[in-house]
Amino acid sequence: MFLSTLRDEFIKANAFVFKNWIMAKRNIFGIFEIAFWPLISFLSVGLLSDFVNLSSSMKGFILIGVVAMNAIQVCQLDMAYVLLYDIWSKSLKHSFVAPIGIRHILIGSMIIGIIRGGAVFFILAFLSQIVFHFNIVALNLTATSFFLSGLFLNAAIIGMLVSILVLLVGYKAEVAAWSVVSIMFLICGIYYPISILPDWAQLIAKALPLTYFLEYYRSFYGFKPFCSSVLLKGYLLLFIYLVLEIYLMQAALIRAKKNGMLLKLSE
Amino acid sequence: MRFAVQIRNLSKTYVQGFIKKKKKKALEKIDLDVPEKTIYGILGPNGAGKTTLLSIIAGILLPDKGSVKIFGVDVHNSVRAKEVYEKINISSGHANFLWSMTVKENLSYYAMLYGMSKKEREHRIEELMELFSITSYKDVKFEELSTGTKQRLSLAKAFLNNPYLVLLDEPTVGLDPDVAIGIREVIKHFHKKKNITFIITTHNMDEAEMLCDEVMFIFGGNIKAKGDPKSLKKEMKLGDKIHIEFQDTDTAPPTALHINGLIDMSIYHDHISVVVDDHSLRLAELITELTKHGLKIKRIEIEEADLEDVFINFAR
Repeated sequence: MFLSTLRDEFIKANAFVFKNWIMAKRNIFGIFEIAFWPLISFLSVGLLSDFVNLSSSMKGFILIGVVAMNAIQVCQLDMAYVLLYDIWSKSLKHSFVAPIGIRHILIGSMIIGIIRGGAVFFILAFLSQIVFHFNIVALNLTATSFFLSGLFLNAAIIGMLVSILVLLVGYKAEVAAWSVVSIMFLICGIYYPISILPDWAQLIAKALPLTYFLEYYRSFYGFKPFCSSVLLKGYLLLFIYLVLEIYLMQAALIRAKKNGMLLKLSE
Repeated sequence: MRFAVQIRNLSKTYVQGFIKKKKKKALEKIDLDVPEKTIYGILGPNGAGKTTLLSIIAGILLPDKGSVKIFGVDVHNSVRAKEVYEKINISSGHANFLWSMTVKENLSYYAMLYGMSKKEREHRIEELMELFSITSYKDVKFEELSTGTKQRLSLAKAFLNNPYLVLLDEPTVGLDPDVAIGIREVIKHFHKKKNITFIITTHNMDEAEMLCDEVMFIFGGNIKAKGDPKSLKKEMKLGDKIHIEFQDTDTAPPTALHINGLIDMSIYHDHISVVVDDHSLRLAELITELTKHGLKIKRIEIEEADLEDVFINFAR
């Protein structure tokens, strides 16, 4: 009984891996997302760092931020796409007629997001070593694992936020798939430490888990974090956001079923 | 009698707008009993509430009021609702699926949503593609399919999970007549062989008459009538029209006829038109009555009332 339930859960979650995988590989923009844009942004920033003669540690500070940013962007897009593909094809109701739960959608899209986001991370890490002689991964593998898990869970909270907005306001929210993450990058210290931000922005940054994961990883490259136990605080914030968003997503789905948004997004 | 679907006092109003709220009543106090293993038709014009009702049964829309029981389970208040939805599926006219996925990939995706293992789904997909004659399109992307093939894919998807209840929203809308006939045949096949209960919404009265054991007419969110097509026609006193042309126009037809089941009558010098409740019961009596008056019959034409007449009668 337990094994059968587990198998059922796995197959349902795998449906979303399958969907995102096929849709991404057949879509030219999917290839651009994973290869073209991350590469362009990484090389541009790296070359700019060379041009302005940044010290190797400062260059590393920025490259860590750029690699993290691209890995999160790709991973969160998969989480957002899981509903957006259905909405764009006007087939959303068919997915929700089936007896699936939010957990299947989240786990499935997260798996494919980790695969694609992880690919971006390691491609850029490899290029960082080859082109800019800066090693992002090999310094501390345990730290890299924690950092990556933090990045992917950050991507999950952004992707879920986009999905919640889509269920609440429909097509108008699809722009959030690209914009929410950019605002987060501005505040969390991708290219600079959060200490240079105005006080109010620093407060927001400290409420976002990504800030703590960037601080944690950069601490291995000689940058002192703005507070103690950054990793623990980062995970704690992630946990709070994930629980809150799972609740909100369930509420948004019920609302979409009440006000007919689910049907409207299928027409 | 066991019911696949039992609906009581169901109401739904759509509210639009954030500041200026607009309300649109979609369904009002709907009661519905769909017996198991029947084909039940929901008929009505555009905007009558057919799709809203079907969507509520499918669980993708929640009602404001009322209860929905599917196979005896109150789907809005029972922990067994999930089990029920495992055995329901839906197909819509104007089919839409993931555009970059092929026919087989689309079917695989939806089969996975029902938890079907690889072996199970491969077997089932092959079987359904064969049945709906889409095997030759299995590697064609959805966006490259013709309307008819898209519709056949949509129907194949509706049978993936071996459902007990299939909801078909305008299953033959916009299709060529030959394709529509084929689809009706498949519906009949599944109904007969697998004892599946079907709820079909349609504009096509011939289709409803051909397929449905029972129908319901819905207008402006209200049920206007329900029952089997034959009793509905009787109930509405639409009857069958019998036109009789006379050979000898010199003999004057009677000014009145006294036959059972007579609904309406028009008498002319060379022919008469009568409306009776059931032509098969009244024709012999009518001929006897006319021949009694010395009239010789040249031609008889019978026009049975159909659901379209019922529909028009409500739409007036």
